[in-house]
Amino acid sequence: MIELRFHRDIYAGESVDEALKVFERFATWEREQTDDAWVVRCTHDDAAREKKVANELANYALGLTIRRGGAT
Amino acid sequence: MSDIPQGLVSFDVGKAAVTMNVDADVYPLQALYGAAFIFIDRCYVFIDKPAQGQFRVTLGARGTVEDEEALRRLVGEFANELLTCAWRHQITQDNRMLIEAVTMQAIGGAAGSPSLDDLANFDFSDDAFEDPLGIAQSWEEKHGKKAGAGEDAT
Amino acid sequence: MSLAQLSPKVGFPAFFRFREVAGKVVVTNFEGNYLILEKDEFARYVEGRVTPDEPLHARLDAANFLRDTYRITEAAEAVRRRKHFLSYGPILHLMVVTLRCNETCVYCHASRANMDQVDTDMSKETAEKVVDMILDCTNPFVTIEFQGGEPLVNFEVVKHTIEYALRKNETVGKRLEFTMVSNLSLMDEDKLDYLMKHRVQLCTSIDGPEKLHNSQRKLATMDAYQKSAFWMKRINEKYVEAGLDPTLYHVEALLTTTKATLPLYKEIVDTYVSLGCKTIFLRPIDPFGFAERVRLRVEYPRSAYLEFYRNALDYILELNRQGVEILERFAAIFLTKILQGEDPNFLDVRNPAGAGIGQLGYGYDGAVFTCDEGRMLHAMGDDTLRLGHVATHTYRDIVTHETVRAMTLASNLDGQPDCVNCAYQPYCGTIPAHNHKAQGSIFGRMRDNNVCMVHKGIQDYLFEKLADADAQTLKIFERWTTLRPREHFVHDGGDA
Ligand code: SF4
Ligand code: SF4
Repeated sequence: MIELRFHRDIYAGESVDEALKVFERFATWEREQTDDAWVVRCTHDDAAREKKVANELANYALGLTIRRGGAT
Repeated sequence: MSDIPQGLVSFDVGKAAVTMNVDADVYPLQALYGAAFIFIDRCYVFIDKPAQGQFRVTLGARGTVEDEEALRRLVGEFANELLTCAWRHQITQDNRMLIEAVTMQAIGGAAGSPSLDDLANFDFSDDAFEDPLGIAQSWEEKHGKKAGAGEDAT
Repeated sequence: MSLAQLSPKVGFPAFFRFREVAGKVVVTNFEGNYLILEKDEFARYVEGRVTPDEPLHARLDAANFLRDTYRITEAAEAVRRRKHFLSYGPILHLMVVTLRCNETCVYCHASRANMDQVDTDMSKETAEKVVDMILDCTNPFVTIEFQGGEPLVNFEVVKHTIEYALRKNETVGKRLEFTMVSNLSLMDEDKLDYLMKHRVQLCTSIDGPEKLHNSQRKLATMDAYQKSAFWMKRINEKYVEAGLDPTLYHVEALLTTTKATLPLYKEIVDTYVSLGCKTIFLRPIDPFGFAERVRLRVEYPRSAYLEFYRNALDYILELNRQGVEILERFAAIFLTKILQGEDPNFLDVRNPAGAGIGQLGYGYDGAVFTCDEGRMLHAMGDDTLRLGHVATHTYRDIVTHETVRAMTLASNLDGQPDCVNCAYQPYCGTIPAHNHKAQGSIFGRMRDNNVCMVHKGIQDYLFEKLADADAQTLKIFERWTTLRPREHFVHDGGDA
């Protein structure tokens, strides 16, 4: 399992959600909100694939956040 | 990039990743966004905020890396881009009026006045368009129309 | 008291930028006036120690370099004159009527298709839609440039486009010009008669002397150079027959500067002169569309290019001193800005650049791009600079597309690190498509940007020449900056 903590000051929640929608079918995802982060946990049987999908999701969420002009 | 200041960057060849600490007083988040946007095509970029006034950027290679040198090159290039973006961010704030005036004149000159059909289809919402560095914000706030990057105009 | 009420000390400098060139200092101001100062003059200027009774004070004052006498209205007027192009939309419309080409050039990959790929021909319907969009443009003067592939391969559509545009323009009333970039190998007398009759300006490609040209630009018959040279001569004869002044009306050619070009600067200039060209444009090769193998063959470091440029320019100036009329286009563009305070509106050396607001490119299928490079990127699978399609978008959709706005912002040198402090900023420009391709963002990074390096190097050369120019050199430069419009090629609306 890989845990990604997207800091709320940096990543937009909607962008993380949108990224999750796109990557939903590539792994098993769990999400949680803390005071300062959107936490996403990625699980896949194949460790290499798990890492790749988690990384791609993080890139995607960052790209979407930047496109919309930032986290807020 | 042979003399990266100690403590600023750490390499993990096994994970094919390099982490860089960034002082938020020197590099605003907008600059970090600008540099990150350029790099998400070629590597994995993750930004974190370990403490107030500090960012941490992790760049992960898309494949395996042979040695630390490859990661040094990657982080070195990122640092160059980040510096450029930070400077650009500052300049665009300083020269905002001039840049806005020229952009408005150029787009206005090219577009001409809208026809009645154009006005009927006009989107009067004030969503910002893609402008990672926020340099056209106030111009956009006045005239903007949103479309996804790379999409055709609608 | 506000800051504006403070009266600065006599001799205090107004805003300026500077650069050391050949032991002297070039200073430029906000509106683009320049002075070349000795180092001690510069030191006294910067320190505000120039007294009103000395000649340097008069020079500084005349060029608006002093704070206490700074003439704001004059400066604003000068900036407005330099940026006159902002008020109009795209002047240049590049129309790819086919990708098919009968020639195979070593550096051309993304721009061509084999002769049997008829699916890469533009249709008449698409051509009409392209013309409709062009004539909707806000610029009262438009140039339609036929490109390819080889445009003569789809000559029917070229003809149809011309006739349709002329007919439609009767009511639209623009000043309309047609140009065609062709390798000329498929030219014949009938086609030429048509093109002459419809006043289409012709331009070809010459890579240099016969051997170099034929080794880089291959026809099945291995005589690409001979064919181009033959038709250049024939076209020039036609201009004379039509009673046109041959110094103004003649075929010009485009050079693609490859690695093999660099040592042959003399031979290349001589070839151009012998073919009757009055202009040579020493452009470095673009980083678009080659495979790695080709890149190794044709690419070179920009430092090598600049050495070539300096050698070639020295030679060109020498020829001019001997009475040969040959002008280098890069030099002419920069000198027009430096000496005349005007912008010749060359779209790749403009601030902001011409992408989308000064030019548009139309693919054979009707896709619209910010520029020709955008089309090449598209051919390589990158659609960043695609703005839409003539069938589904209006002209206004296209020029207000967010990519156009982004390119306009990105190529504004007042927002560009390095450029904001560069003495050449008033004369310079960056190319967002190039930046995107070479550095991953349309903004680019000037410190290691090839276009910046070339522009800087050329302006260094020109300011060196200006620093110790004799009367004859200055006269040559003045001639190079005197624009003589080729009115013959202009169709006024209603004169079809
Ligand atoms: S003639 Fe033009 S289109 Fe044809 S191969 Fe050469 S450069 Fe490409
Ligand atoms: S592109 Fe280079 S030469 Fe031109 S103004 Fe900018 S820094 Fe100067």
